[in-house]
Amino acid sequence: MENVGSLAILFAFCFAVYAVIASIAGKLARRPFLILSAERAVYCVWGLLTVAASLLVYSLIAGDFRLAYVASHSNKSMDTAYKFASWWGGQEGSLLLWAWLLSTYSSILVFQNRRKFRDMMPYVTAVLMSTLTFFLILISFIEQPFKVLMAGKGIVDVGDGQGLNPLLQYWTMVIHPPMLYLGYVGFAVPFAFAMGSLITKQPGDSWIHTTRRWTLVTWMFQTTGILLGAGWAYAVLGWGGYWGWDPVENASLLPWITATAFLHSVMMQEKKGMMKVWNVVLVSSTFFLCIFGTFLTRSGVVQSVHAFAQSQLGPYFVTFLAVGIAGTLYLILNRLDYLKSEAQLESVLSRESSFLFNNLILLASCFAVLWGTLFPVISEAVTGEKISVDGPFFNRVNIPIGLGLMLLTGIGPLIAWRRSSIESLKRAFMWPALGGITVAVILLAMGIRDFYALMSLALCAFVTVTIVIEFFKGAIAIRAKDHQNLLASMIELTHRNTRRYGGYVVHMGIVLMFVGFTGKAFDIDKTVQVQQGQTLAIGHYTLKIGDVVKSQNEVYTSEVLNVEVSSDGKFIGTMKPERRLYIASRQPTSNVTIRRRPSEDLYLNFAGASNDGEGTVIQAYVFPLVSWIWAGYWVVLIGTIVCLIPSKTRLIWPRTEVVAVTGKHANIEQ
Amino acid sequence: MPLVIAVAVLLAATLFYILFVRPQDLPVPDPVSPTLHLDERKAAIYENLRDLQFEYRVGKLSDADYAQTKLALQKELAVVLAETERISKGLPVADRKRQILEPEVVSLKVEADPSPVICPHCNARFTTPMRFCGSCGKEMAA
Repeated sequence: MENVGSLAILFAFCFAVYAVIASIAGKLARRPFLILSAERAVYCVWGLLTVAASLLVYSLIAGDFRLAYVASHSNKSMDTAYKFASWWGGQEGSLLLWAWLLSTYSSILVFQNRRKFRDMMPYVTAVLMSTLTFFLILISFIEQPFKVLMAGKGIVDVGDGQGLNPLLQYWTMVIHPPMLYLGYVGFAVPFAFAMGSLITKQPGDSWIHTTRRWTLVTWMFQTTGILLGAGWAYAVLGWGGYWGWDPVENASLLPWITATAFLHSVMMQEKKGMMKVWNVVLVSSTFFLCIFGTFLTRSGVVQSVHAFAQSQLGPYFVTFLAVGIAGTLYLILNRLDYLKSEAQLESVLSRESSFLFNNLILLASCFAVLWGTLFPVISEAVTGEKISVDGPFFNRVNIPIGLGLMLLTGIGPLIAWRRSSIESLKRAFMWPALGGITVAVILLAMGIRDFYALMSLALCAFVTVTIVIEFFKGAIAIRAKDHQNLLASMIELTHRNTRRYGGYVVHMGIVLMFVGFTGKAFDIDKTVQVQQGQTLAIGHYTLKIGDVVKSQNEVYTSEVLNVEVSSDGKFIGTMKPERRLYIASRQPTSNVTIRRRPSEDLYLNFAGASNDGEGTVIQAYVFPLVSWIWAGYWVVLIGTIVCLIPSKTRLIWPRTEVVAVTGKHANIEQ
Repeated sequence: MPLVIAVAVLLAATLFYILFVRPQDLPVPDPVSPTLHLDERKAAIYENLRDLQFEYRVGKLSDADYAQTKLALQKELAVVLAETERISKGLPVADRKRQILEPEVVSLKVEADPSPVICPHCNARFTTPMRFCGSCGKEMAA
């Protein structure tokens, strides 16, 4: 079986190389037979990688412990879901997942466009298959998933494996990596179309129209992946944080930032034919940051709590990135004439300029995160000393940037496209500004003095009022014409421009997340050594420490601490934080217990027995508003889905048509 | 041994599928309109006009901003329509640098109609009858 798997990957590599050569040669020599042959090779690569992936998954589930990968990442006692998740639990399987997803996307894309974009598709195929070839080189020759365990000249079956890292045995971890990879890999598609469009100098913005949904869906997967990772860190790692500015976390955030900038600036190109170079740069940056993210995660080049992968893959990734970036830059510079804007910014007081500022701020954030992430590597290269940049640096830089973005999120919808007069702006800003100021005054009256927290919550109110007014005014306008009730008018309004109003829903989700982030300013934490029967006060909670219940099953030994919780003197329940020791890997883990409420979470971590053995160490935290982050994600998801629904107005032909420009406004030569 | 044979057969079949392309296998490409990019641009301008109209209705724009922006969009549309017409008629495509050609567009349109419809309020000329004037917005029948 291992031979079939290895052969499948090797042949997939050969066919991917063939697809690159045949599609370019077919295009240059005008041989449609070669182009079709290349497209068939794409399907075959997918078939072969599906065979390889299926064999690896089968080996993980069946427990073929002759394979080094299976022995390292699976064991007999694991649940089937975790055995399946072991596919991406380690280096080789993870790279195979990357390759399989890319081949799946490529096959779908080639099939969808088998009759369309015949001019551009050979280059799109070539770009996708070149990327795939790189990953197939890695899993064919460097990190082989079907390597068997050898003793002398014989193959060894070790009987049972070490199992998946216990920290990864959590439900969000089953779907977090595939979601993130769906996002990472997905950005290869708009990038390939952008390159194809540049190479063939396509007129218009066909690559943007074609990949609009891909981009949005990919962004949705990235967002989901990042939030699942944050949820995992919060619920599993035991320190109560959802974001630690770890290099691997940053690696997932960087392409998300540029993708978000792209989703905004692409509207400028669609509406006014502006920012064409910028959009190609953004989509290329996003793609290369996705590769860079995989490089950081998989190479071990920077210290990370995600120490799941240490390898010698670094030089290969650096080479691929260098060649890819150089080629892309050359192509962009060579096609600058073709990428000229068709229009200019007409006024600073326009939505275009708010989008421009939004892009600049996002870029600043991206640069700050990238700089902080790479600083240890840069400092080591320059001074010989590795200097790590920690969370406070990222917070110091990114909190003001985030607030600036939130401000623009509120300002953008208030300004019309092209131009707005001061008078209109005064009218539009009045209620949102009043909302923001009112919240700030109330918070000040409540005794809150943290500047950033005040600003953040005031801006959240400002944006919320803006969005509510946008929906309300729009619905009123529709109601006046169609005589529907307000709710039906709002639905109609959203359906008429799903992209805009779906976007507002996404913004609302981001507001909720910001409220959650702001709660961080009011965290309370206590780490104490306690004995059975003692009490501990934290916030308005009183915790009474109970007994420790020990148990064991075939996977782990467990110690559960019973803690009776009272709020303002009233008993509200028993919480049971747990410590486990996984037998196969001998790795201890903490299973925290969380009492989740919209206003705050009570978070208990049983850190184990104290050093003197006479008590237990418990970490207790109160995290205000953290649930708003997860609620915000669902709103973002709903908003993105709304954006994906085709607008109603797009389906009908405009009722009016301009037949001429009149002499009143233009000089007419007759 | 059977596994080796199965793999060999599968490989041969894969190679045959990839390399043996018959003329009838070539997909018939969807017809590509030479004005596709202009049609896309036209659709974008119509959408901008719809947005503008709506933003005006909800009070986001002053009368002056509305009129100015609408005029700019109408000019853009006229350029796109003229370019589409040129391509459709097989005329050489205008140089991209000469896209400021609204005078030509307008004169073409105006000359095409021997009896233009004229607004009684602002004297704007149109080739088709309309209930309201596209320039001043007043009722044409008045």
